[in-house]
Amino acid sequence: MTRPAFVYVTYIAAPPEKVWAALTKPDLTEKYWFGYRVEAGAKAGGRMTAFNPAGRKAHDDPIIESDPPRRLVYGWKPLYKDLPDEKPSRVTFVLEPFKDQTRLTVTHDEFEQGSRMFGMISKGWPAVLSSLKSFLETGRGLEPTWDEEQQKRAAEA
Amino acid sequence: MSKPSFVYVTYIRTTPEKLWAALTDPDTIRKYWFGMTAECDFKAGSPWALRFADGRVADSGEILEADPPRRLVIRWRNEFKPELKAEGSSRCTFEIELAAYYPDFGGKAVKLTIHHVLEGEGDKFIAAVSGGWPKVVSNLKSLLETGDVAFKE
Repeated sequence: MTRPAFVYVTYIAAPPEKVWAALTKPDLTEKYWFGYRVEAGAKAGGRMTAFNPAGRKAHDDPIIESDPPRRLVYGWKPLYKDLPDEKPSRVTFVLEPFKDQTRLTVTHDEFEQGSRMFGMISKGWPAVLSSLKSFLETGRGLEPTWDEEQQKRAAEA
Repeated sequence: MSKPSFVYVTYIRTTPEKLWAALTDPDTIRKYWFGMTAECDFKAGSPWALRFADGRVADSGEILEADPPRRLVIRWRNEFKPELKAEGSSRCTFEIELAAYYPDFGGKAVKLTIHHVLEGEGDKFIAAVSGGWPKVVSNLKSLLETGDVAFKE
């Protein structure tokens, strides 16, 4: 039986360098990634960190491969309290030039059989990557509203 | 064992009505579907065909369900590649909803879910549409959000 893997392909009207920057610089990720500040610009052996809009650390994961602007691989084990306790999974971003655009392929794999995290990321990536495409093509991501109640929950998570 | 299938979800800054129009208007389809289009009234029971710019039929079938601007189901069979045609009919469902684009984060966008299921056996047809849908839907999203497509062919 095969282990679960999630694959998503999107085409973005921007060069790979700009897509790379948008995936790795916190000042850019916060504009489309649910307000999260994701820092993933380190070399292999460094860390990927993410902070939610309330300033709580959500990720501190190893960067496994980094070959700008072509290939980025990092571990994935969110730090929120309410998430299932599972072994780290793995995210691979492949950026390829395609007709003056970028073909971005995101593969999220190495889940345990029956992983609950797998169901969560399968819903999350299409939203994040749709917002990334909007951000790079129009200057605006699909911003969340982050009402007071959500801010409160995020600060406690 | 489940049938061979492909699912693609995207979120678009638009309205369900504009997305429905883009999925059913022949001139709009041509803009994001690399010059191909479908002349069809998009009513349940109507024949449907996707044609190349020169008029050859690429895929054919019929409209199984149409509930504008929420749900469209097409019976779909490839006509131009023998190895794909040999795998028979598929069923392609488009679902459109104004949705929070991620639970817990608020913010509304139009969620388009394409679920393409082969009714028979084989792996070539689903492999082909798995490569095609991300291109077509990326172009459709760009067209609705920016007025232009990402690539023309």
